[in-house]
Amino acid sequence: MYQRINESIEVAGVFSRGKFLIHKFKWQQREFRVAETTLINNTRDGGVRLRLYSVSVAGTLYRLKWNLETHEWHLEEIWYEG
Amino acid sequence: MKGEAHLLSQQLDRPSEELSRRRIVHVDINSYFATMLEQENPALRGRAFGIVKDEGRTCLIAVSKAAKRLGIKTGTRLQEARQILPDILTVPAEFDRYLDCTRRLHQLFLRLAPGVQIFSLDEAFLDITECQQMYPDAQAFGELVQAEIQHELGEWVTCSVGVSYNRLLAKMAGEIAGQNGILQITEDNRDSFLAVVDFKDVCGIGYRLEKKLRRLGIEHPYALNLWSLEELLPIFGPYWSVELKLIGRGEESKVLRLLDERTDADMKSVGRSITGWQPCDDENQIKQTLYNLTVEVVSKVRRMNMAGRMVGVYLWGEGRGGGYGYQSSPEAQAIENTWGAHRTLPYYVRHTNEMFDLIYNQLYQSWPRSFRVMKFGVWLAGLRRLEHVPIPLSTQWSKRELVEQAIDTLTNRYGLFTVKPASLVNFQMIRPEVTGFLGDKKYYGLG
Repeated sequence: MYQRINESIEVAGVFSRGKFLIHKFKWQQREFRVAETTLINNTRDGGVRLRLYSVSVAGTLYRLKWNLETHEWHLEEIWYEG
Repeated sequence: MKGEAHLLSQQLDRPSEELSRRRIVHVDINSYFATMLEQENPALRGRAFGIVKDEGRTCLIAVSKAAKRLGIKTGTRLQEARQILPDILTVPAEFDRYLDCTRRLHQLFLRLAPGVQIFSLDEAFLDITECQQMYPDAQAFGELVQAEIQHELGEWVTCSVGVSYNRLLAKMAGEIAGQNGILQITEDNRDSFLAVVDFKDVCGIGYRLEKKLRRLGIEHPYALNLWSLEELLPIFGPYWSVELKLIGRGEESKVLRLLDERTDADMKSVGRSITGWQPCDDENQIKQTLYNLTVEVVSKVRRMNMAGRMVGVYLWGEGRGGGYGYQSSPEAQAIENTWGAHRTLPYYVRHTNEMFDLIYNQLYQSWPRSFRVMKFGVWLAGLRRLEHVPIPLSTQWSKRELVEQAIDTLTNRYGLFTVKPASLVNFQMIRPEVTGFLGDKKYYGLG
């Protein structure tokens, strides 16, 4: 199941061939290194463009949201078993 | 009857030489909703799970490939699925992601082929007739499509590819090809496929028609060639008799021919329905739900700069039978636990309060309240572009239009329901969602 988090995070990555690829992010003073970006989607909330990243860190999936207007990043959800 | 059959038989006379030169490719992403969630989350890959609309919902709107292998079908209730797999996992759908993936597929297909028709959220027809020199080998083109899709959406995403000279046979080829398969049906092998394929794999034949055909001993499309139009007419009527004869010959059914209607044609209606969490007889809850759905319908109609003059509402209760409430007779409605009403107006509607007033204060008040409601639906039809609609001269209408325009501006900037009716302030809003058959593809710019 996905657990709702919705907290602000810091993200580091590189722009490569027109895409931003996440290398790591910081949440609650902890650093998470991204092993794989499994899916990237664009969506909108009204006029605000959002980019949704699904990234795998040590076998756990994290859903991140990038507000393309304010350039704020949020950790939206985490996958957990049980 | 003979005269009617003769007239109808003229509809069957079609030039086939030109058509057989065409090359149509049907692409169908396998178990789309589940596959995209598996692509996204490695923990789900290869597992049997069902997709629900939201947390706590009990209808599996899609299931993974592994769940299908266990015999769990799309549309199964969670309780029934648990009888097969007690600890089956359920994951909420991600409609925004599916729509974005479909948009990306559309862009990808446009890069590969000059003619693209999106058929549903996870299906498309590619017409490569004019570039057969570039793609001379159907198998190689199918492999190219599969590789490009994996490059675009991810390595876990597989698709079936069917190739033929029309859309009916291309789609049928894709169904027969199976997961991640590629199959071509040509004029030479067409009849052998038509003689063995099940009607469930034939586009345009629904469950009830399939059952009726089976009762007559017609198990496969090719068997229809053994029946004359005169014999089919008294059983299936003039429309289906012609359709069945065409399908028996491997020609396109109406549902596919409709794709050729002008692509710039406007939408004719906008509707929205929602199944509740539990049977509802709370008057306020029913009112709020209908209001919420009305806000979404009017918002879409306004976004397309249109107005409509047919307003409708329907309610379904627990354990309803088949058929839409508003199409059935009052007696059938009572048996089926459905109710519906609609009105055609002498003027056009494009304001939320006006449509809701018609739905709730007029149509809904005639409901005899004979069952608890499970499903709610509202619709606005007879749509026309605003420039073709007579604008009311009253100052009241003009003032309301200004208010609606202000709401449109806020909605476009900050999202739907940023401004909402006061009676919905404490209501858990039902947000828009895309459907699998993508009936609103024109609204989303995919039609």
